[in-house]
Amino acid sequence: MFPVPGKLEIKNLAVEVGGVRVLHNIHLTVPPGEVHVLVGPNGSGKTSLLATIAGYPQYRVVSGSISYDGTDLLPLGLTERARLGIGLLEQRPPTINGVKLRLLLDYIGGDDPERKRFIEDLIKETDHAHLVDRNIHEDLSGGEIKKAGLLLLLARQPHFAMMDEPDSGVDMDSITLLCQLMNRLLSPEREHPAKRRTGLIITHSDVILGRVSTDKAHVMIDGRVLCGGNPRIIMKKIRESGFDSCVDCLHQGE
Amino acid sequence: MKKTDFPIPDEQLLAQVAVVPGGENRSGTFILNNHLEVCSFSRSEGLELISITKALDTYPWLRKEHYHPQGTDEGRPEGFFLRVKEGMKITLPSQAALCMTASIDRQVLHNVIILEDEASLEFITGCVSGFDLAEGDHLAVTETYVGKGAEFTHTMVHSWGPGIRVFPRSTTLVEEGGRYVSNYVSLRSGRSVESSPVTYLNGPGASAKYASIILGSKGTTLTLGGDVYLNAPGTGAEIAHRAVCTGGKIVQKGLLIGNEACHAHVDCAGMIIDAGEDGFIESIPGLQSRHPSAHMSHEASIGKISPHQVQYLMAQGLEEREAVSMIIRGFLDTGIRGLGDELERRIEEIAELAGHGEE
Repeated sequence: MFPVPGKLEIKNLAVEVGGVRVLHNIHLTVPPGEVHVLVGPNGSGKTSLLATIAGYPQYRVVSGSISYDGTDLLPLGLTERARLGIGLLEQRPPTINGVKLRLLLDYIGGDDPERKRFIEDLIKETDHAHLVDRNIHEDLSGGEIKKAGLLLLLARQPHFAMMDEPDSGVDMDSITLLCQLMNRLLSPEREHPAKRRTGLIITHSDVILGRVSTDKAHVMIDGRVLCGGNPRIIMKKIRESGFDSCVDCLHQGE
Repeated sequence: MKKTDFPIPDEQLLAQVAVVPGGENRSGTFILNNHLEVCSFSRSEGLELISITKALDTYPWLRKEHYHPQGTDEGRPEGFFLRVKEGMKITLPSQAALCMTASIDRQVLHNVIILEDEASLEFITGCVSGFDLAEGDHLAVTETYVGKGAEFTHTMVHSWGPGIRVFPRSTTLVEEGGRYVSNYVSLRSGRSVESSPVTYLNGPGASAKYASIILGSKGTTLTLGGDVYLNAPGTGAEIAHRAVCTGGKIVQKGLLIGNEACHAHVDCAGMIIDAGEDGFIESIPGLQSRHPSAHMSHEASIGKISPHQVQYLMAQGLEEREAVSMIIRGFLDTGIRGLGDELERRIEEIAELAGHGEE
């Protein structure tokens, strides 16, 4: 029942928000079945990049392309991209008063009995029953917000899963559980854990990077993707010398 | 061809206000069309639902104890008398339809509802005007008495043509341990609605809950009140007003008066889809405390549908209209149940309007 993982290809992408350029000449490819990580200081454009891929209309693409499994995403809106199988765990999702998480899960389940059963099993197995009868994100702790978001992603079974700082606002005990949920999302077939969905995660958490395997890290600074490489090597370098070393590295070529 | 003076109201008209024309799955039914009582019957032991004139003729005590004449009564009043006898718990809801389908200028009603001690009932009152009735006034006085340990849920659904003016007045007394729930839904509000229900929680432990859902479209003026006097220890009251403005003028009020140790909360929330030329929402939640152990709180908020909420739901795969509809449905969810398809249809209409407003 699990989909063939999809390929994301971004070329020469430039994006504006409210007339201000936030992303410059981005080139980024995530091959099918690989999970990549985006790192970079605050304000470097990581969240903007994920929101642009998801299709948030305030992120206006001024040049370049984003293709997903060969489909040009730019003419498509949020809904169409979601229905193509693109999912995003937002860092700060909105509260929606009066709308219970259950209602959204029912929508996702649709009229398909198998999908409905899958979602019900998921709620039980991941011990989320207490969250589904709450209003979406209302009065939830940081950890609960992430759990609710991951439950939605798991229910939707996206081909391409993006997660924006899944560890922010989460206490240490909950991070372990979040990592389990992330692994369940990224490796949907328990018997074949190496058969993975395509993913793009923003995180600097050693706990997450220690528990969730990633194939490649990309460093973003000032709205640009500066370099990419082995996640362990890149994170080690950043921990030792900070993001400034990345800037120095960039200028070496000039 | 439909005739406006046909005595039995159109089934579709009744369905608009959640009234089941044949009275199926209802414990009792009263239907008034213009000045004519179409039917009144009870299918449950211990439940009485008759015209107020018949009740006043039958029960001399009614006029002395429960019927307080109003200036509007003008001789023989119209309306219903509903009584649930002591200890009777009626499982199926009862219903009344008060319809204006002919040019009668005004309909003046005086209803009396009595729930004797330990009785319980859910009651739906649907007030509606004919599709082609240009104008008219609907004046309704309702006196409700909820006895010791009794429970009464009264859901009022209004659906008025654009020229109708509506003046509901109601007073409710709740005795020790009694519970009164008042739901008001008005999604076609006519030219004006002025409602100012007053509830007196006179017995220890008595409680009241008001919930309302109103839509103020262009050309409508809605003033919705709700005063609750908490007059005994351990009383509790909750008011939750929800208003959607698509061009009408809306005033939401709610005043809680704590005269004893009590708990009370009033919450007025408004959503402006399109204020048009002169539409607005004004929220005035009020508290008055006369006792140091009265715990009272209020909140009020007015806003539009947040684009981030809509976009978040779209990123989960919903169409824009489905997202707006889900948000409005959530906003209007004050726990009112059992209104069926009609409420759903109205919400879809609002969602449609909201969708256009976002463009």
